[in-house]
This record gives sequence, C-alpha cells and structure tokens, in this order.
Amino acid sequence: MSGRGRAEAWGLAPAALLLAVAVAVPALRVAQLASSRVTLGEGIEVGAPTLEAFARLWQDGRWWISLRTTTVFTAASVALEMVLGLALALLLHRRFPGRGLARTLVVMPWALPTAVMALAWAWIFNDAFGVANDLLMRAGLLREPLAWLGRPGLALAAMVVADVWKTTPFVTLVLLAGLQGIPSDVLEAAALDGLGPARRLVRVVLPLLVPSLLVALLFRTLQAWGAFDLVYVMTGGGPGGSTETVSLYAFQQYFRYLDVGYGSAVAVQGMAFVAAFAWVVARAARGRGGVA
Amino acid sequence: MTRRAVVAAGLAGLALLAAGLAGCGRGGGEPAGTAVLGILLPPGERPFWEPIARSFEASRPGVRVDLIEGPQSTDLRENLYTAALLARDPTFDLVYLDVTWTPKLAAAGWLVPLDREFPPDELAALLPAAVEAGRYRGRLYRVPVRTDVGLVYARADWLEGAGLPLPTTYEELERAARALQSPPGRWGWVWQGRQYEGLVCVFLEVLTGHGGFWIDAATGEVGLDRPEAFAAAAFLARSCAPGGISPPGVTTYQEEESRRLFQDGRAAFLRNWPYAWRLAQREDSPLRGRVAVVGALSAPGGRPASTLGGWGLGVSRYSTRPREAVAFIRHATSLASQRALCAPTGYAPARLEAYDDPELRAANPLLGRLLELHADAVARPAVPGYAMASDILQRHLSAALSGAEPVERALRAAARETRLLTAAGGRR
Repeated sequence: MSGRGRAEAWGLAPAALLLAVAVAVPALRVAQLASSRVTLGEGIEVGAPTLEAFARLWQDGRWWISLRTTTVFTAASVALEMVLGLALALLLHRRFPGRGLARTLVVMPWALPTAVMALAWAWIFNDAFGVANDLLMRAGLLREPLAWLGRPGLALAAMVVADVWKTTPFVTLVLLAGLQGIPSDVLEAAALDGLGPARRLVRVVLPLLVPSLLVALLFRTLQAWGAFDLVYVMTGGGPGGSTETVSLYAFQQYFRYLDVGYGSAVAVQGMAFVAAFAWVVARAARGRGGVA
Repeated sequence: MTRRAVVAAGLAGLALLAAGLAGCGRGGGEPAGTAVLGILLPPGERPFWEPIARSFEASRPGVRVDLIEGPQSTDLRENLYTAALLARDPTFDLVYLDVTWTPKLAAAGWLVPLDREFPPDELAALLPAAVEAGRYRGRLYRVPVRTDVGLVYARADWLEGAGLPLPTTYEELERAARALQSPPGRWGWVWQGRQYEGLVCVFLEVLTGHGGFWIDAATGEVGLDRPEAFAAAAFLARSCAPGGISPPGVTTYQEEESRRLFQDGRAAFLRNWPYAWRLAQREDSPLRGRVAVVGALSAPGGRPASTLGGWGLGVSRYSTRPREAVAFIRHATSLASQRALCAPTGYAPARLEAYDDPELRAANPLLGRLLELHADAVARPAVPGYAMASDILQRHLSAALSGAEPVERALRAAARETRLLTAAGGRR
C-alpha cells in the first residue's frame, strides 16, 4: 500500500468504526432477536433460534394493513416528490434575480426537525383551527370544515402532503447537482440541431439526469419506507389503525407490548423488502453507468 | 477530498465518538460516598419536585436526588424508562409511573414489590382507588403521589340562559348540547376521540355509565360485545356522526384540541381532566366564572364514573439504593410534600388528609369535588397485556367513530381479539 493509501485508510477508520458501532452491531442484534426465542427475564434473554416470528407475520392482519399503508404512502410521496423536485430543480437551475435567496428558501423545510413539522401540519389539518380548512372554504372549494386526520383515506393523504412538503427539497438538491454536471456545450449542440426546449428536456437533459434521479429515488424510498415520527405525531396510526406504518408497528410491538422478538421480526421483514428494492435500483444505476 | 481533509474528518469522527462515550458516565464532581437517586420526570413538574428533593436530602445526609427532566410526552417517557429497564440500567432508581404502566412493568419483573415497606395502615392514609391501581396480581408495585379523574365541564352561563339544568345523564347531555349548539361555529360536546389512550379513557366512562365493563381483571371476562358496550359506543358514534353534538374532527382530538375549542367559547360541554378547570379560571380566560363542573354522567342501568388517572412512584429492580428509594416515596407522599407538589399546580393529591388541608383547598377550590369523583372512579384493567388490550380497543373504536366500521361489528371484533389476548395470558 502506498503512503497516501495508508493515510486514507487511517482517515476512514473512525468512520468505519462509527458505522460498525452505530449501524452494523444494532442491525445484527435485531436480526438475532427476530430469529430467536426471546424472553424477558433478567433483561432480554435470547434462546434457541426459531423462525416462528416470521411465520406469525404472514397471519397477522394488522401487519398486512401496515405493509399496505407503508407501500401506498411511499409510492405516493416519492412519486410526487420526484415530479415536484424535478420541476423545482429545473427552475432553480435557470439564472434569475434572487436565485440564491430562492434556493435557500426551498431548502428550509428539509432543515426542520420532522416532529416539529409534523405537529405544525397536524394543526394545519385541524378541523376547527386549521389553515387548510380555512383556505379551502374561503376559496369556495369546501362548504364545511373537513376532519382531515379523522378519515382513513384523507389522513393518509394529509401525511403524504406533509412528507412531500418536507422532503421535496432533498430531491431538488440532488437533481440540481445533477443538472450542474451536464456540460453546457451538449445543450448548445442540441439547440443548434434545432431541438426546442421541451424536446431538449426529454431527449437530452433527462437521460443525462438518470443517475441523479435514481439516487434521489433510492434515498427517498428508503426514508419514506421507514416513516415513523411523521405518523407518530400526526395521527398516532389512526383513525382505526389506517395510517400505521411498518416502523410504527414494529415500535409498538417492541416498546409498548415488550414483544422484543416479534417487533424485531417486523423490522427485519420490512428492511428486507426495502433492501430488495434498493438492490434493483442500484443495479439499474450501474447498468446506466450511474453513481449509486 | 484532499488527504488532510480525510484525516481531519476522521479525527473529528473519533472525537465525537469519544465525547458520546464519555457522556454515558454519570455524576462527576460528587463527594465520594454520595448515594444518588435518579428519577425521570416530565419537564413541567420538575420545579415542584425540587423542594421535595431538597427536604429529603436535608433529612438524609449523603443522599442526593437527581431529578432528570424527560420529554413532555407520557409515551416518550414510558419509552425511556422501558429502554433503561430493558438494558438493566440503574440510572433511574425510582420510576414515576402513569397509572397504566403498572401491569406492564410489574409483569416484566422490573419493579420491586412494596407490600412489606408499605403496610396496610400506612396505605390507608392514601386514596383507596389510587392505591388499588398500583397493585398487580395482589401485590403493590406503585404508591400513588397524585391522581386524576376524568370529568365533564359545562358552560353554566349558556345553560342558565336557556333555562336548562346541569345534566346528570347522557340523554340530558345530548338534549342540552343540541339545544345550545349551532354548528359549525358552536358545538355541543367535545371530548378526546383520536386513536390513543385518551379515547379509551372517554369510552370507559361512557361504558361504565351505561352499566357495562371492559375487562374484569379478576375473572378475565371481556364485556365489549354486550348490549351495554354497544349502547356506549353507539352514543359516541352518534355524537360525532353528521347532525350530531360533536364536531366530526373530534375523532382527531386529544386533550388540548378539545380544551381549546371549549376555552374559545365554541363548545357547551367538555370532557377533560382537572387541569382544564385551572386554565378556564385564569385571570385572562374568557370562561372565568362561567364554567360548571358536571362531573360524571350515567345512562339508565349504569353508574356515573370517572376514569382514574394519575401518577405514582415505584422502585426499579435495578436500583442500587432500593432502601433510599422507598424512603423517598414515603417522603413524597407526606403532607408537606403533597402541599409542595399540589398547591402550585392544582394537582389532586393522593393523601386523604390533604383534601382537608386549608392551604390546598385555597389553591384548588375543586378539591372537594374531586374527592367525591374519586370514590366512584373506574380504573383501567390491570392485565399484563394492557398496552395491547388498549390498542385493540382504540383501533376498533376509532374505526367505528370514523365510520370505517359499523359499531357492533367493531366491538365484536375488539371483544374477540381481547379474548385471544387474555386467554394467552396477556401475550399473543
């Protein structure tokens, strides 16, 4: 190893150690808890290995509902965020007066703690005091106040709105970086070839942006799939359990029911699904020569 | 990244890690031999525990009480205690327990039984219902410090203006609410309908008021699919259905959302806890002098009952100073400590003689009424799988209230799932 390589290895060691301590060890521990007979005696006692918890998952109606909720939430949020994020990135990529300020403002929601933002959104969607009802009624779109968080479909939609508001800036940032990486001579050449703005976007910009799009898609999907604080604060999983995500369900099993083994199984199974998705996206990115 | 930047970033990471590890240690700067008693409290209560801790330290040289401020949310503090106990961490010698935590923590073996330290004649000085709520399978794990009862408030001025008496039954409440409301500006009755523990508290009152029961902790019998339970749930569902006496959004309300509506003069009746009274009587409150306490209500065949809430102290199994911890509990339930905690806050004390204390009476005019309500209070069942039982009820009730499931079907499903739970000894 060269001197430079060794120095870099030493430099990376703390990060690797941190990853091992903060990510790998807990993850392995959860996997172990999920696949063993766990009892609470003197602390958590891990017994013989068993896959019972996973078998129980498939018969657990509440788990299936949480899986469906999480899938719908993730698909809806991420799809909207990608579209809006792309639109914002294209806008902010153009030169206009006040662009710096606009870029800063767009990033603001991303910088807020989720729990604080979720509480604010819960009040926005409050039926009696909420801004949402007030605006919609003034605009004549609603005749009487709507209990947004009190109806299953609406509550999930409200959560999607809050999530889109908070995390679109992330997609925007990633795509903006991608746009800045596209050489301007390519676009000039396309313009010289007589391609209009719309066709330049579809034929030139978007294909070159695919790696960034995939990165944004991957990160956002992983995060949306793990949604917890937003749900916990906005609806607590209600009404009627209709907004309970997999993460919230795992948490309830683990901390409220003290069913450590089963809670771990819920978490591991959820992680497996999203890992499979990440693998597909990462492969697609590699096929495209992307960075993921 | 340049080589120097890589090394710098690495060093920064190490420093963070070291700081984190160092932060795990406790105390520091303590004279050798000092026994530290740790307790996690809601941040708002800490100033009122301060004098209690200081007077305890004065009477016990060599002991220091560490009042640790936790998050405001009850659930989050429960999680912190749970995480510490799961890890057998001795940081919290004392557990400041909500009334519903007792079965869970006792069943896990995390609390020390206190029967021997607190004999019956000593417990007789405390509110019987509150003491009872600290027992699990016949043994005492939690000594009450302050208590809570659910109650209904009314706009006395509106009732008077309409020539209506204070309601005593749910039927009268419904009629009066209907007469006084003009939605959506002014509603009849607001309560806690969100899918969370508060919904269970409301339902338990209406259920007992209709003559029903949830789980009989002694026999394990489940009463959720009986006619009384259907009638109770139907009353709540009717209240928040279109044309009802509660705003449709009541199914998203916790305590504060409902209280604000009442405080703003937009509701005739409010179901809440005693703290709402104090806020309604404040100098700047538009409701000052206009609120009457209805208390608990009933329907034919039922009894008026308030859901019992409140907080108490238990001793952690992993405490290294259990003896000092017990002494602190005794100190916290003394009259002087009850005064320190309850006079400035308006909390209802656990000690019976405190209800006759002139200082406390002056601080909280509602005290006499609260004592009466305690006599008829209904406790949530002390079953080991309480959290799960509560969640089953919450989900199905919430589904019924939001119209996603018909009332009877929802309650039958809740009863079925609850029976599976109790049959499995609290664990599924």
